[in-house]
Amino acid sequence: MRSIRNKWGFLGACLIAGAGAVDAAEALHVYSHRHYEVDQQINALFREKTGIEVKVVNAEADQLIERLKSEGKDSPADVLVTVDAGRMQRAVEQGLLQPVKSEILDKATPAALRDAEGHWYPFTIRARGIVVSKDRVKEGEVKDYADLAKPEWRGRVLARSSTSGYNQSLLASIIAAEGKEAAEAWAKGVAKNLARPPQGGDRDQIKAVAAGLADAAITNSYYLGMLLNSPDAAERKAGESVRMIFPNQSGRGTHCNVSAAGITKHSKNAEAGRKYLEFLVSPEVQKMYSNGSFEHPISMDLSLGEQIGKWGSFKVDETGFGKLGELSAEATRLFDRAGWK
Amino acid sequence: MRETGADGIWIRAAAWTLAALVLLPVLVVVWRSSGEVGRAWEDVLENRLWGHVRHTILLLVAVVALALALGVPTAWLVSVYDFPGRRWMQWMLLLPMAMPGFVAAGAYVDVLEDLTPLYVGVRMNWGIDAFLKVQEVAPWVFAVGVLGSTLFPYVFLSCLAVFSRQAAGALEAARLLGAGGFRVFFTVAAPMARPALVAGGSLVAMEAMNDYGVVSAFGLTPLTPGIFRAWGEGEPVVAMRLAMVLLVMLGVGLVFERWQRGRRRFAADAAEGVLGRQKLPWWLGLLALGLCFLPLALGFLLPGWRLAGWAWVSRDSAEWAAHGRAAWHSFSLAGGAVLLVMASAFLLVAGQRALGSRSVTVAQKIGLAGYGLPSALVAVGVGAVVVWVSRNVPGAGGLALSASVSGLMIAYWVRFLAVGIQPVAAGFEKLPGSLREAARTLGETPFGALWRVDLPLVWPTIIAGATLCFIDVFKELTLTLVLRPFDFETLATRTYRLTDEGRLAEAALPGLGLVMLSLVGLIPLTRWMRLSEK
Repeated sequence: MRSIRNKWGFLGACLIAGAGAVDAAEALHVYSHRHYEVDQQINALFREKTGIEVKVVNAEADQLIERLKSEGKDSPADVLVTVDAGRMQRAVEQGLLQPVKSEILDKATPAALRDAEGHWYPFTIRARGIVVSKDRVKEGEVKDYADLAKPEWRGRVLARSSTSGYNQSLLASIIAAEGKEAAEAWAKGVAKNLARPPQGGDRDQIKAVAAGLADAAITNSYYLGMLLNSPDAAERKAGESVRMIFPNQSGRGTHCNVSAAGITKHSKNAEAGRKYLEFLVSPEVQKMYSNGSFEHPISMDLSLGEQIGKWGSFKVDETGFGKLGELSAEATRLFDRAGWK
Repeated sequence: MRETGADGIWIRAAAWTLAALVLLPVLVVVWRSSGEVGRAWEDVLENRLWGHVRHTILLLVAVVALALALGVPTAWLVSVYDFPGRRWMQWMLLLPMAMPGFVAAGAYVDVLEDLTPLYVGVRMNWGIDAFLKVQEVAPWVFAVGVLGSTLFPYVFLSCLAVFSRQAAGALEAARLLGAGGFRVFFTVAAPMARPALVAGGSLVAMEAMNDYGVVSAFGLTPLTPGIFRAWGEGEPVVAMRLAMVLLVMLGVGLVFERWQRGRRRFAADAAEGVLGRQKLPWWLGLLALGLCFLPLALGFLLPGWRLAGWAWVSRDSAEWAAHGRAAWHSFSLAGGAVLLVMASAFLLVAGQRALGSRSVTVAQKIGLAGYGLPSALVAVGVGAVVVWVSRNVPGAGGLALSASVSGLMIAYWVRFLAVGIQPVAAGFEKLPGSLREAARTLGETPFGALWRVDLPLVWPTIIAGATLCFIDVFKELTLTLVLRPFDFETLATRTYRLTDEGRLAEAALPGLGLVMLSLVGLIPLTRWMRLSEK
């Protein structure tokens, strides 16, 4: 009996010791909207290099922001990560982030795509482009977003729901560049041309173009990258049958959003937070993004990834970037008026 | 013997506290929705409201119609005729009840895509307009099909009770007078089954109204997803106004039913005997079997078979740890909710019995009414209360929606209290009052009599109620999606999310888990059917 008790005692002591050991490792708490496999590898690498454990809480950006607000000073979060500059701008407005001073970050990221006071920094570029069927759409037939709103495209276009942040920021960029009326006319035109009521995500739109349901789809480029590099042969084949187009090259450039990270106002570990942000823009990690999630590196250095290299260089629309946050509500309203579900 | 004095006051106070808690979400929504909203509501009014309302009506009408079309003929066939496989069909037709709609949707949603060659064929042969029409209609066909074929057992079950028991005498008489099968059905059975049709149909309509998983999988936008969207966009007052619209529609439905019933009264006598079944010739028997098999296949066998296949394929790559965590969350939430629900149900029923008080009876009725409230309304009502408390009560910040399950628990409790009250009340009804009075005469205190005499006797029905309630909470999706803390998944939300992300094979495993557990809930039902057979 005694020996059993001793065993349990020993086990208990081990557990307590173990728990203590885990606690002793420095931890960085990240509230993140990103949920890609490559992110887990990157966080593991960060721990390997710095000994700092990254603990991630995943949720939608709006929920994360809401949670930061309600937690206030007691928030355990050190870093906020989203995939939308507009959401970061709103987090700044609500006083949830603190500015960071870092030469590394300033050097690695373009000034047009980051917060002027350093409340947040971008670390990947996410281009919203168009894919078209290689068989049914001639080279040069689609060059701009505006092409998809033309009457001859009736029943040939696919796009996901307007409740998606990707579409909202695209329309916000059009409002910023061309004004409300032009943006509404464009949304109406595309909504009329849709081959089906919006359903599914970007990947589903690409697959549907491949299957012949429609001829063009609005999608972020990395979704095509994922299909082209999928372990599933059918998905690779679907990816091969379409062509990626980065629109507006003779105009203001292709609409891009960014993955971005900022240190929370009440972080208890801002120093580790800064290290993490700098780590995210390091060439090693940027290469992992380019080849893992197929996003573009923040430097736009196309030599970092094979897939992005194949797509080639393109001009990024930087004109309305600072207004994405404030215009997204207007974009939602215009989508509703246009009947784009 | 009625209890009076201090005990009575406490019981009344407790019963009314519970009733007030059930009413709270409605009151909050009514009160807050009259508040200021500004531009957001105008936009919804101008661009979205009519679409939401139209889709809601269309969905409910279509789903109820399909459920009646599947449930009534099958109930008629298995109760009036004898054919090979009938005894199996009688209970197997209940199986779709164990298939939550959002799980079945996962097994059908890719078929919608796989039909692309058909759509392309339509475009080539009939032009772009026909193509666009088909694209618009196809998701409706699937969504209505999934909801109708998983919900029809409600109609089947209520009609079965009428055809095989209540109406047996009248049907037998009509037959003896020489009426044929169709004539008996339309002149005798159908009118007698009207209350059953209404009861089964309203349950189906309510489930369809509360559905979020199926309609969002197929991209439809009735009011429930509309309410969630407004809530998610940080427009709680808009969400509440939309919830009010849903409540008004529910009210109109109730009034319509009352008006249509007119002054007819339906005597719901207990069993009048069992109908002798007419043996069908072999070919008609085969046809009957086929007719029964169709809804069973659509609502259970087909989706179940696809899910099982995917689960088998993905078993090695399954994220067992994440599935396990989600299952643990589901278990603990359902367990907690069951304790709360059963304790409250016991208090309301036993209190009413001990006091014979009118006011406690009213409180109990209110408790039952919670089941009829739209899930979306309960979600935003409870959500608003919890947000307010976490922001305004010092030290209650930890209760915030994103951080605790408090809101979720309250919402489950409001919605499913009735699931506990009904069986407990039925159990108490069967107890002879004399037992308790004898105990009191022998010197037991009121509480002692309840504890030592009543409780052991109603224990089996409490267990039955607890089982049903557990399963209801376990597979609940709509409330859970809105009120769960973030980074917190139950088996239901996990199945939904994986389906939503198109990871159908991975969604199959947690989905099947939900189906397995729901099957347990059918055991009391099949036992009841066996009893009625004898």
